[in-house]
Amino acid sequence: MEPHCKRRRTEEMDPFPWEMIPVLSDEKSGDVELVEAYAAPIFNKKETSRLVKLMANIYPLNDLPHIKRVRACVDKDSDHPLEILICLRSSASVADVPDRKPSLIDLLPSGMGDCNSLGQPFQVTIPAKQPLTRPQFEAASQHWPTAFHENKQVTEALRGQLFNPEEKAKMQMFMGKAIEAARAGKEMGMEPVGAVIVDPATNQIIAVGHDCRNGPNALLHAVMVCIDLVAHGQGGGAFDHNKYPNCLFVATKDLSEDNNVIDIGKPLIPLDHQNAPGSGKDLPYICTGYDLYVSREPCVMCAMALVHSRIHRVFYATSSPDGALGTKYKIHTKKDLNHHYEVFKGLMEKECQRL
Amino acid sequence: MEVSDGYQTPGERQQQQWMDQAFSMAEEALEKGEVPVGCLMVHNNEILGRGRNQVNETKNATRHAELVAVDEVLEWCARNNRQRSPVLASTALYVTVEPCVMCAAALRLLNIPLVVYGCRNERFGGCGSVLNIPTENLEDTGTPFQCVGGYRAEEAVELLKTFYKAENPNAPKSKVRKKE
Repeated sequence: MEPHCKRRRTEEMDPFPWEMIPVLSDEKSGDVELVEAYAAPIFNKKETSRLVKLMANIYPLNDLPHIKRVRACVDKDSDHPLEILICLRSSASVADVPDRKPSLIDLLPSGMGDCNSLGQPFQVTIPAKQPLTRPQFEAASQHWPTAFHENKQVTEALRGQLFNPEEKAKMQMFMGKAIEAARAGKEMGMEPVGAVIVDPATNQIIAVGHDCRNGPNALLHAVMVCIDLVAHGQGGGAFDHNKYPNCLFVATKDLSEDNNVIDIGKPLIPLDHQNAPGSGKDLPYICTGYDLYVSREPCVMCAMALVHSRIHRVFYATSSPDGALGTKYKIHTKKDLNHHYEVFKGLMEKECQRL
Repeated sequence: MEVSDGYQTPGERQQQQWMDQAFSMAEEALEKGEVPVGCLMVHNNEILGRGRNQVNETKNATRHAELVAVDEVLEWCARNNRQRSPVLASTALYVTVEPCVMCAAALRLLNIPLVVYGCRNERFGGCGSVLNIPTENLEDTGTPFQCVGGYRAEEAVELLKTFYKAENPNAPKSKVRKKE
């Protein structure tokens, strides 16, 4: 299952002087939110399934589908084996009396069925939302058992296990190229920001660029430069980068045959009909499937430009004050937008801080 | 109304004329198979930049009408030997669709004082629909700007609908053409 593990020597478990952490959505990275609820002991185990049905009728807990109705009693020596969740404190049918514990009669309307095997209700705190990550699940389970559908990738990422040393070495190499570009740009009087776009399927560098905002166009941040360089490689492009010897692209298709292929009157691949017949799946659609390595967290313009460009993953080194991939916004996880991408920060952070 | 130092908002009739021209640019985009968004950048009652969406033509998804027009303004400054910052700080944008998050941020970075737009942009809008970039507290991202929406909004939506219908290869050809 983990063939690359045998290569690891304990002496040098992690030869990389940086730590890369995923930038998750607020829902995934946040603390477990709790709500107050009432539960009661079940003295007669055999009554459990009937009681579960009964409670589901009276208090369906529709907004808490992740909550398991019954838990084993935490105290092994107690007089009852199981406990059942009755209802949220806020939805209890009894008026809230702060100093008095509600009784079963308060919580359960009369004539609803036999509740003789239930004990005195007590207050518990339960997780308000379904846990999305293993740390959240572990925290949530301390309070009350919950359902959890583990996203293995997120768990591995949080443990720092998502990338093996071989992959990390490649990432370090790509960020190294971005740093080189940043330095070259700096020598030309630019902001010291560099970026590299890579096709992870082939490990081929598609574009290398540096920030050009101090040139004639203040909007040519490193990311915007790289997006345009990729476009040049596909036979398009909007800017002339010839003045900048360190802004480079690789043609992803034969541009010599391209004269008749580009039909300006026809969208390359219509945004909403990518599965439509004849949509030309073999053509690269802007940055689809590509990774971006950038020395500094992108601003909101650049982060949104990457949404429009359908980038696959972004690796950045250092945070920016108005950064849009973790600091001020998490554009890559924004629900209302039609494309999302993965973001990791911290790759070669120290080197990039010195830029 | 004064929105920033030295910038005077033109009268409503004048603004409507600019918007009408922005609509012509959007129609041109539609004819070229691009998302029908058009815009104008106006400084001292003079049009310094025109833009329409050029994403497909350039294979660069950032070539929205606004950014295309910005390039024309920058070229105008270079040609006329004018400093860019003061020109941009008193240049208004007239655009048929609410600028997206990217363009709204770009307009902030350039210190554009005023944006007048047609319909809202529910998918990407950066002036209230998805995010509200003009008024956000972003110290490192230029200056906030004023935003006025709703001019010929229904027509702007119709243009967009025509485009998305036209993109469907199964749609009848006749519907692709806009009515003159």
